[in-house]
Amino acid sequence: MKLNPKLTQKISYFILFLVTVFAIIPVIIIISVIVKNGLPAITLEFLTSFPKNGIRGGGIFPAIIGTFAIIICSIVIICPIGILAAIYLNEYAGNNLLTKIIKLAIINLANIPSVVYGLFGFSIFVVFLRLGVSIISGALTLSIMELPVIITTTQNALNSVPSSFREASLSLGVSHWQTIRYVVLPSAVPGILTGTILSIARISGETAPILFTAAVFYVPHLPHSIFDQVMILPYHLYITSTNVPYMPQKLVFGIALVLLIMVLTISSISIIIRIYFRKHKKW
Amino acid sequence: MVEKIIVENLNCYYNKNCILDSLNFSILKNEILNIIGPANSGKTTFLRTLNRMNDYNTYYSRNGNIYLDKLNIFNMSVEKLRRRIGMLFAMPIPLPMSIYENIVFAPKCLGLIFEKSKQDYIVECVLKAVFLWNEVKDRLNKSAMEISGGQQQRLCIARILAINPEIILFDEPCSGLDPISTAKVEETIIELKKKYTIVFVTNNVKQASRIGDRTAFFLMGKIIEINKTEEFFISPKQKKTADYISGRFG
Repeated sequence: MKLNPKLTQKISYFILFLVTVFAIIPVIIIISVIVKNGLPAITLEFLTSFPKNGIRGGGIFPAIIGTFAIIICSIVIICPIGILAAIYLNEYAGNNLLTKIIKLAIINLANIPSVVYGLFGFSIFVVFLRLGVSIISGALTLSIMELPVIITTTQNALNSVPSSFREASLSLGVSHWQTIRYVVLPSAVPGILTGTILSIARISGETAPILFTAAVFYVPHLPHSIFDQVMILPYHLYITSTNVPYMPQKLVFGIALVLLIMVLTISSISIIIRIYFRKHKKW
Repeated sequence: MVEKIIVENLNCYYNKNCILDSLNFSILKNEILNIIGPANSGKTTFLRTLNRMNDYNTYYSRNGNIYLDKLNIFNMSVEKLRRRIGMLFAMPIPLPMSIYENIVFAPKCLGLIFEKSKQDYIVECVLKAVFLWNEVKDRLNKSAMEISGGQQQRLCIARILAINPEIILFDEPCSGLDPISTAKVEETIIELKKKYTIVFVTNNVKQASRIGDRTAFFLMGKIIEINKTEEFFISPKQKKTADYISGRFG
């Protein structure tokens, strides 16, 4: 039997459309359920006060501050190392055995489950280096986990700069480093920024790596230094939803909503930056 | 005439394939030397060997020597060499900056000029030298990506002039341009001959007959013939040359 080409075209179009819809349905449901159940919990007090009644009431202020502290600390560690390593790998490293080993290591690092990073961070930073359960231990663990992602996205951004720009600059007698600094990097900055911010969004939602290295159930005060332990939103969400009996569901969804908004805001910033630079792109 | 560049037993390879096969010839001071030949004859490889742009290519290897004013270029620092031997690519490649910045970028990086007044002066001089000043003088701070292809190519020439090299290599600079832009670029090149030594690679046989003092014919990595342009085109000594310029192959 031979099908009418117009009909097969319509059927295949419909199937592809249906599959796409299925792909975005979970996102819509997740967001709407969390917003619907969590929105009533969001008050100024919820965002700015400490937990009460054995964390069954009150606010999540210390968890928000703790999350920001960990994120900022991770950025400070991860950005210079990740970006500089990517520049080295992309612009300087020869095509030799060492480079291949490094690249292989980066790919494998990216595939390690996050809970393994958590255990690794616990044994190295918390126990061996005696940093204790602290912001710095958590940030270091998250940084090691996210490093391969930052390196890969930065390399992609550097790769997207046409190699003819490098040649044109080099052919004028400009040195390799000056070419990277004044020609390659300015063109790659948008891509590097977007990649970095997306990684930060990912970091801020991670639970497993900070489980044993930074997060605690409850602290009655804000952290004084990076060597303090902190409350962190994803961990707070995890314990309130599993370990606290008679926890008001409204508050749990409230925490989820705050976390969701934080992650989505960070991702949106990266999208806005990308759109801005695409409009002002000179090549 | 003084010999500016002497090529001595130069062999170049990509992946062990011989691209340039024992070249021996010289380039004279203040001449325009045309290099013509079909695709894959090693013209571009030769140019990129002259200012060592191929050094980054891991598949590329070479032996033999090239002397610039009696100094072996393979013993010089690449930055110093490229300051003396500028190169223009087939496609116009303006850097992603303003027209003004495109010109002063290299001199600033090389530490040649710092004062703003001197920069202004150089920008005006080199743009006038490539007949571009009147076309862009009102939009020097606009992105160099916004001007036409022919203007971009002349801007790229101006950019090379700003570092004041001794030799300029042209790698089919008109292959992407329309006839009017081509005429302007050619006019610029002939004008440049007074101050610079020029090596001009082209696919276009007629263009070679219009421009150069001498012409070399490359085929499969070998020099088949090198002679004064007039003699080269009117009475070629080799049969292969005659066949190529009359369009029987290539």
